[in-house]
Amino acid sequence: MLMPKRVKYRRQHRTSLKGRAKGGTSVAFGEYGLQAVEPAWITSRQIEAARIAMTRYMKRGGKVWIKIFPDKPYTAKPLEVRMGSGKGAPEGWVAVVKPGKIMFEIAGVSEEVAREALRLASHKLPIKTKFVKREEIGGEINEG
Amino acid sequence: MAIQLKANQRKDTKQSANRGLREEGNVPAVVYGKEKDPITVSVNSIELLKTVRDEGRNAIISLDVEGGKTVDVMLHEYQIDPLKDELIHADFYIVDMAQEMDVEVPVRLDGESIGSKEGGVLQQPLYHLQVRAKPNNIPEEITVDVSELNVGDSLMVSDLKQGRNYEILDDENQTIVSVTPPEEMPEEPETDDEQAEPELVGAENESDESEEKQEDDKE
Repeated sequence: MLMPKRVKYRRQHRTSLKGRAKGGTSVAFGEYGLQAVEPAWITSRQIEAARIAMTRYMKRGGKVWIKIFPDKPYTAKPLEVRMGSGKGAPEGWVAVVKPGKIMFEIAGVSEEVAREALRLASHKLPIKTKFVKREEIGGEINEG
Repeated sequence: MAIQLKANQRKDTKQSANRGLREEGNVPAVVYGKEKDPITVSVNSIELLKTVRDEGRNAIISLDVEGGKTVDVMLHEYQIDPLKDELIHADFYIVDMAQEMDVEVPVRLDGESIGSKEGGVLQQPLYHLQVRAKPNNIPEEITVDVSELNVGDSLMVSDLKQGRNYEILDDENQTIVSVTPPEEMPEEPETDDEQAEPELVGAENESDESEEKQEDDKE
């Protein structure tokens, strides 16, 4: 499960999910990618589940890049606890994903395999996504 | 022969005017060059895309600016909306046909390698090559034949046949394409560390003390 090795503070503010992804919006390492269309917190468990779904389908061969990292801790209060008395205990880690972000990339497999692997991965995520290809301007339009 | 493309001058460079242009199917653009004054123009988005698709990213375009003269340009940079896949802005660079220039040329792999037929994974770390050439000699793409590659083989920049008309600027030891043996799926890590917490940077003792204090306060 992905999480930071060291952090400066144990708890963070939640902050807003407004706006679009500032970087990481193009396929940089592989040939195909899975792009977020909505903003969300993607937990480390969801990232792991998506990775397993992809690699299982691709079996041997191909290479996967995970381009998001869950570096934000989220907290929760125990059940049946009254409000107040400070912030809850850290529960897990999330990656803040904004529309346009390429979350996963794949290379070394055919387009059909990549499409299916990323489709399976997308079912592990809480957001709408689209399949994108490494294309130059004027190339085929990416369609999800 | 350079391809023709029509452009309209745009005087109003406000954001609202640019938005209007995009809604009409045009792309705001700028034309500039060495020791030339920049001109703000707009071009038809579909025509520009067609031109680039047919002639390549580094094609010489003869830009016919309305109310001005025709200039030979090259698409220098462009911005694309990552979600809508629409062109937002384009930069045209006025080229000097007599002077060499550095451009990025895409690498296209040709054929299916022997290694990948045997189960190897074809990896391409380099998708573009830096090329120095006169504008007329810039290749549309550089084709690399991978059909002879076995598992474990790789092709470096130095293995490319240097074209007579252009010079490749990338490091000769850079790998363009390699065929690696298939990797077994990595073992799924144990999930014992789910509740593990990362250590705090440089505040181990302080944080312990502060937590103790907080607990004391609560009591």
